[in-house]
Amino acid sequence: MLSQLLDNFPYLLSGAGKTVEISAASIVLSSVIGLFVALLQVFGNVPVRTLILVYLYVNRGVPLLVLLFAMYYVLPFAGINVQPFLGGILVISIYFGAFMGEVFRAAINSLPKGQWDAARSLGMRRPLMLCLVIFPQALRLAAPPFFNTCMVLIKSTSLVSIIGVWELTMAGREVVERTTAAFQIFAGVGFIYFCICYSLSRCGRYLEERLRYGH
Amino acid sequence: MIEIRNVSKRFGHLQVLRNVSLSVDHGEMVVIIGPSGSGKTTLLRSINFLEEYDEGEIEVDGEVIGYRLELGGRRVRRSERELASARSNIGMVFQSFNLFPHMTVLNNVMAAPVRVKRVARREAEARARDLLARFGLSEKVNEYPITLSGGQQQRVAIVRALAMQPKVMLFDEVTSALDPQLVEEVLAAMKQLAQEGMTMVVVTHEMQFARDVAHRVVFMDGGAVVEQGDPRRIFSCPTSERLRVFLKR
Repeated sequence: MLSQLLDNFPYLLSGAGKTVEISAASIVLSSVIGLFVALLQVFGNVPVRTLILVYLYVNRGVPLLVLLFAMYYVLPFAGINVQPFLGGILVISIYFGAFMGEVFRAAINSLPKGQWDAARSLGMRRPLMLCLVIFPQALRLAAPPFFNTCMVLIKSTSLVSIIGVWELTMAGREVVERTTAAFQIFAGVGFIYFCICYSLSRCGRYLEERLRYGH
Repeated sequence: MIEIRNVSKRFGHLQVLRNVSLSVDHGEMVVIIGPSGSGKTTLLRSINFLEEYDEGEIEVDGEVIGYRLELGGRRVRRSERELASARSNIGMVFQSFNLFPHMTVLNNVMAAPVRVKRVARREAEARARDLLARFGLSEKVNEYPITLSGGQQQRVAIVRALAMQPKVMLFDEVTSALDPQLVEEVLAAMKQLAQEGMTMVVVTHEMQFARDVAHRVVFMDGGAVVEQGDPRRIFSCPTSERLRVFLKR
């Protein structure tokens, strides 16, 4: 019963490699976007915060699939042609940048006001205050929801197969079309996604433990 | 050392400071007492501009804090760089300690001298260890704040402020969050500082401490200075009715 899965497992693993590639690039880029979004919300003036709010509401209110279709089908009409692989990463990053921004903003804002007071009273200016006092503490608070968002991102990369990007889900569909062993193959695909996400969640737990005060 | 002239502050419609004037001489310890909501903490925080006062002027060691007066009498808010520089010479200790939980005791004390005043790391560490030893914390240098008692944390907070070699120390109800048995060790540390001639402004509810150690006691109520003077006179023969009522409680 497992023979079809075992025979095609190396092919699925190649697809997994592409999934990891897309996920890693998207996680890094969306984290950078999220950090900017969080800082602009915390420190920005009213016009800047308004623009950020529009970005947040749009990305949290529109399905990722719709945004991928917009990139793939609508942008060419505007003369903008983006390669699906790169376009998929960009859309996923911009989409999840909104969620990352809220994770980071919540972490920064949940720090006691006394930490800001203590840092300012010691003569620290904002960049030093952020690097030395705020970010190290916010990192600890942001870690659980950050890793949670990363796992949702990894699973969401399966949507890029809709716009023709080859990755784990598309590899699975190809094998199913060839073998008609849908249950075995998609069970295998699900198992690989689980392994990727479980590994990340273990990393997250390890980081949380390392960041515990008094460790 | 500290000159507060006609300072007023509002939070929305609420007037929290009303035309407050106060001076603190070099080496003097001034204790501010008063009921909750009288403006004591707001006044203290205005000295290092953690609260922005609306009117008046505050000078510390000849430098106007928070604002710069331009030609024509216009008041312009100082830049963040100028504010940070002024604050680095004014030490402050908070009711909730506000130690940095992700740093050891030693790093809590060393971080600002090294990163703000650009003191060499070795020199900053030596001074930090010396200060921690003076306040009985030598064995705690590599501990994290979460492992310390409240009294120990507050003493670390005092040392952290002193490590910046401030001209003035501000204390905002530093024993209010402590169990009674831990209060004494913190008050002893403050007495030690007063004996060494540090200029201090202390907001506290510890009346015995104010009576024993303060050079001058200031009573505030409703955002204004109601009465001030020698602690022996203030506590034994208050002239204002409001102070009499406050001390009776």
